[in-house]
Amino acid sequence: MPAESSPNPRLDPAGASDEQIQEVHAILRREKPEPTEGYSPLPLLLLGLMSACILFSAIYLGRYSGGFDPLVYDEHVLPGMQGAAAPVVLDPATLGKRVFTTNCIVCHQTTGLGLPGIYPPLAGSEWAQGPEDRIIRIVLDGLSGPITVKGGQFNNAMPTFGAMLKDEQIADVLTYVRSEWGNKAPPVSPDKVKEIRAAVADRTGPWSPAELLKIP
Amino acid sequence: MAPVSSPTIARPPPAAASAVDASTRWPVLLFLLSSLGWLLVATVLALITSLKAHTPEFLAGAAWLTYGRVSAASLNALVYGWSTNAGLAVAFWLMARLSRAPLRFGGVLVIAGGFWNLGLTLGLIGILAGDSTAAPWLEMPAYATPLLFVAYAMVGVWAVVTFRYRRLAQVYVSQWYLLAALFCFPWIYSIAQVMVVFDPARGTVQSLVNWWYVNNLVTLWFMPLGLAAAYYFIPKVLGKPIHSYYLSALGFWSLLIFGSWTGPNHLIGGPVPAWVISAGVAASMMMLIPVVVTAVNLHLTMVGSFHALRLSPTLRFVVFGGVNFTLVCLVGTAMSMRSVSEITHFTHFTEAHALQGMYGFFAMVMFGAFYYLLPRLLLKEWPSAVLIRVHFWAAALGSTLYWVALSIGGWIQGQEMNVATVPFLEVVQHTMPWLFAGSVAWIILAIGHLAFVINVLWMLAAPRPAGATVPTLFPNPPAMQGGLGR
Amino acid sequence: MNRGPLLFLGILAAVAFSWVGLVLTSVIQYGALTPYYDPAEGKLYPDKPPGQAGQGRLVYEDLGCAACHTQQVRRPGFGADEERGWGTRQSVARDYLYEPRVLLGSLRTGPDLRNIGARQTSAEWHYLHLYDPQLTSPTSIMPPFRFLFEYRKVVGQPSPLALKLPADYARRHGLDRPGYELVPTPRVEALVAYLLALNDPYTFPEARPYVAPAKKGGA
Repeated sequence: MPAESSPNPRLDPAGASDEQIQEVHAILRREKPEPTEGYSPLPLLLLGLMSACILFSAIYLGRYSGGFDPLVYDEHVLPGMQGAAAPVVLDPATLGKRVFTTNCIVCHQTTGLGLPGIYPPLAGSEWAQGPEDRIIRIVLDGLSGPITVKGGQFNNAMPTFGAMLKDEQIADVLTYVRSEWGNKAPPVSPDKVKEIRAAVADRTGPWSPAELLKIP
Repeated sequence: MAPVSSPTIARPPPAAASAVDASTRWPVLLFLLSSLGWLLVATVLALITSLKAHTPEFLAGAAWLTYGRVSAASLNALVYGWSTNAGLAVAFWLMARLSRAPLRFGGVLVIAGGFWNLGLTLGLIGILAGDSTAAPWLEMPAYATPLLFVAYAMVGVWAVVTFRYRRLAQVYVSQWYLLAALFCFPWIYSIAQVMVVFDPARGTVQSLVNWWYVNNLVTLWFMPLGLAAAYYFIPKVLGKPIHSYYLSALGFWSLLIFGSWTGPNHLIGGPVPAWVISAGVAASMMMLIPVVVTAVNLHLTMVGSFHALRLSPTLRFVVFGGVNFTLVCLVGTAMSMRSVSEITHFTHFTEAHALQGMYGFFAMVMFGAFYYLLPRLLLKEWPSAVLIRVHFWAAALGSTLYWVALSIGGWIQGQEMNVATVPFLEVVQHTMPWLFAGSVAWIILAIGHLAFVINVLWMLAAPRPAGATVPTLFPNPPAMQGGLGR
Repeated sequence: MNRGPLLFLGILAAVAFSWVGLVLTSVIQYGALTPYYDPAEGKLYPDKPPGQAGQGRLVYEDLGCAACHTQQVRRPGFGADEERGWGTRQSVARDYLYEPRVLLGSLRTGPDLRNIGARQTSAEWHYLHLYDPQLTSPTSIMPPFRFLFEYRKVVGQPSPLALKLPADYARRHGLDRPGYELVPTPRVEALVAYLLALNDPYTFPEARPYVAPAKKGGA
């Protein structure tokens, strides 16, 4: 089993001097023998653990695989059971804040302070607390043109949200804006949003502040 | 298959062992020194990435260093540069030793090393230049990976031939792991390249193949390489046998069978069918078996010899790695549970997990292996025990700080992300101190790597001593030094 | 375990087991998914993205945006993806049918972008955000991509795509020279077109959330 010396002179130990052999042996002589395996039996506890793992995995795979159907994404679906898509119900205050956090904070910020020179603030804003007819229009069709808010000049473009948000969502977010950060203005109702949406249905393009100021 | 009588101690005559070691010199040294070079490159890239994470203006003017590119480059340098080169170096040396035969066709391996490093260099430059494939862990562009294919095809063939010509009939547990690694890697890497890069699968099947590949790389390439080294060095340094052959066999086969099914863990909650995810979860549960079995086996081998950790650098690094192996696999199984994944998925927790595996386990075991085999290759001793100590503590502290800090940060991040009323920017702000700790950790790791590389270069440059030498151990009272084979 | 061929066969079987069971099965099962035909609207979903968006996807890939952003919405009740407005329903395999490189991502250092085209419809916002994220999102850790823009002399008419920076920002960064404008390069134009096109508006039958049926009898 041990190796015979190979014909390669570089590997042939007889070709090395006594000193070299000594120093090579020194490193190797102090080495422990090559590793071997013992044959202790498997502990019973491990056997128990393995059985538990196999049991758990098998049950999990059976129960949570949705019948191995490629169109089932929810592991709770049991094949053969009926399920339905139910809408999630939320209270207007939470929904309003959620709509705001999702859509408005990129520009108006969570503090409602906007960005000086770029995006107007909503906190303490006379526009936000003003006539609801104006701000519903802004949310539905967008705003473009020079506008003064709390003494600051802004000239940017606000995109439209009419297609993306439902009447309830627009009402909820405007109500949220009108009651947050110290704002005190009456809430906006979904019916009002519906009414305005129908009234401006033919409108294409954003509103300008000048036009909106004409609305009482 | 197991003989009934007690095992005979296989002690080859010193001349034969020296011939074996000498035959491995050039291939192992090439891969080892390449791995150290890549370690330094990966450390620099990882440090830049980590700093950019919390300080976005850092080096922000250079397009080639933009965060998305440099983080991919640092990952690839760490995985394919440092880790794979190191793993191959140790694999070649172990194969020769365990076969009790000199390494043949070393020239083939040297050429393979050249191709590997060339392909890798091309690939990393490609990523920084903007040719990344954008597939996780497979970012190297398609013009670089065929060079890697040539390299590992050569290595794979070499492994089969070497095993065929082994001189010892009995196959030790480390060899099972080495064969599994050297055989599986070409397969999984080729499948991944074909189905993700060259002829991408349609839709989210692509992502499934991608993550199947990543977990296979970890469980069928890095884990076997690391465990092969642990199963060799722990009993070798202590002069004791491995506790149980049956545990070794059980651990080996269960790792192979269940490990490769854990890929879908990266897609929990994602656009893949529920059964695919559940299969991954079930496999992760079954992974408890190889993890516990291996931990018990190695622990019971160590029992009674823990004092040796005070002396032997090899043992200390390898055992530290072994402990992290157990921890990281247990965390991985926990993360695969859907309720835990709901919090940890998409957060820095997963980055912590990846580094704990690749560094806390694999790199530490590789360092231990290097501390053992370089003196045998160069016939010199490590010049500085102080540098070894600096390396160990820096590596241990740095890696632990990194995964602990990012785990905590990631957990908080995940919990806050699941509460919609917390604005996203606030969630980000709360991760900042943990990301900063991660950068501090990388600085500590860099210090350790520098200490190691200086020690290696010093050792290379130092003249070969005449006569018998004493192994470089951690400083301890002289009375303790006897009786340890280092 | 001393026989080489047996060892090899065992290892091969282990890796083949997972490839056949996971990968091959998935390829057969849903690799052949086709677009869904909606009878009410009379068209196929998902829509194919416009050409410039396809180029923008390449820019997204080469800059490594997938390193920080995911493009997959989790189902309602699992995480807070729907509540954050990242999508109205879970992302399903059919959504990614036409994508040569599926960019699911794995980290949410930044928000999920699957439906960013529905959330953020302003190209101008995207240009400002990409030029310097601090302009639109102070304290963000997203890196600035100034190298995607060009500060150049106005030739003839000013470009309609020129960025409108706030006055003091422009002054602080030397971007207020008269007769000069900051314009996006074609790469970032394509990228923004891609971001604006990222939207999964149609709800496939398999994407509707599942509500378990009520238990019969008492609770």
